[in-house]
Amino acid sequence: MGSGLGRWYASAAALLLFFVAWAAVAARPWAQPATDPRLAQLDVRATALRREGVLVQTIVRQRWATYRVRLATRKHEIAVAQARQRRLAAAAAAPPPVAAAGAASVRVVTLPPLTITRTS
Amino acid sequence: MLRRTFRAMGTEIELFVEADEADAELDAAEHEFHRLEALLSRFRPESELSRLNRAGSLEVSADTARAIELALTARANTGGVFDPTVHDAVAAAGYDRSFELVPADTAARTGTAPCGGRVRVDGLRVEVEPGFHLDLGGIGKGYAAECAAEALAPAGPCLVNAGGDIAVRGGEWRIGVEESVTLAVSAGGVATSGRDRRRWRRGGVELHHLIDPATGAPAETDLLRATAVAEDATQAEVAAKWLFLLGEEEAANRGVPCVLVRPDGSIRLAGGLA
Repeated sequence: MGSGLGRWYASAAALLLFFVAWAAVAARPWAQPATDPRLAQLDVRATALRREGVLVQTIVRQRWATYRVRLATRKHEIAVAQARQRRLAAAAAAPPPVAAAGAASVRVVTLPPLTITRTS
Repeated sequence: MLRRTFRAMGTEIELFVEADEADAELDAAEHEFHRLEALLSRFRPESELSRLNRAGSLEVSADTARAIELALTARANTGGVFDPTVHDAVAAAGYDRSFELVPADTAARTGTAPCGGRVRVDGLRVEVEPGFHLDLGGIGKGYAAECAAEALAPAGPCLVNAGGDIAVRGGEWRIGVEESVTLAVSAGGVATSGRDRRRWRRGGVELHHLIDPATGAPAETDLLRATAVAEDATQAEVAAKWLFLLGEEEAANRGVPCVLVRPDGSIRLAGGLA
């Protein structure tokens, strides 16, 4: 009687062990989990977008820097031109800064020169 | 008539005098150039001008003080178009040594420098605003020509030509301005300013020595050069630069006897010349 009960428990334990082992093997724990190809594509796309984003930011920064330099240069040119214009207008409005030689002291002649004046 | 030529102030000097004998006066006139060059040159480290530029404040000789006062008066009268504080701008443009030594063409880029610095002359004491330096190149040769003419005049009617800046004392002297224009001048001074000489290239850009103080860079104008006749050589120098910077139309209507030369070589007489 006791030996029959023991065999029954042993058979049950063996059966249970079999199913557990079968389930463990069926689960294939050594295999890589299957990935969704759409997710993989999304990852690739996200990486590409991040790379493009960095590139765009670099280009924008470069263009902004160029624009700021050009703007500063242009503002300087405008300021210089305005200052020059103001100064020339003031100079033009002012009386001659020099005492001109008397009309009798200079005249145009057709004789050959003794000496010449040139940019000094 | 006696004639003597020599080099001073980086240019050819001519002395003419209507006399049979004038060695002493010619010597004295020549000495004036060498003496004033030693005082006023910005290229001589030991000149008074160089020492003033280094120190910022200096007690100078009467001639240096007078030349600076004349330049400051010219600045006031021209509204700043003529300015003795262009030193740094001229140097920044590349003219930083005696012109014979300035390279004609290099790839180096040039800059500008501010002008209009304050200068105070109190007797013989001259003070220049920190950050500015004086260049009397725009008036020095005219001033020297006047001093030399004073020294030469006792011998007779004379003309002193300092590389184009001319002082006349008596007589009537024929001065060539252009191939087709000769002026007969009996008194006063004649000078020419332009961008046809003392020019060089930096970084492919053509530059010249006439600085527009408003920009701190070589001036841009529609004239190639302007020749002015005035009461004396220093005033003629100032007037020539002033007319050159004003441009043709304004220059022609300012009442100063002048010969204006356009870039194409054509000529306009104004200020009573015809």
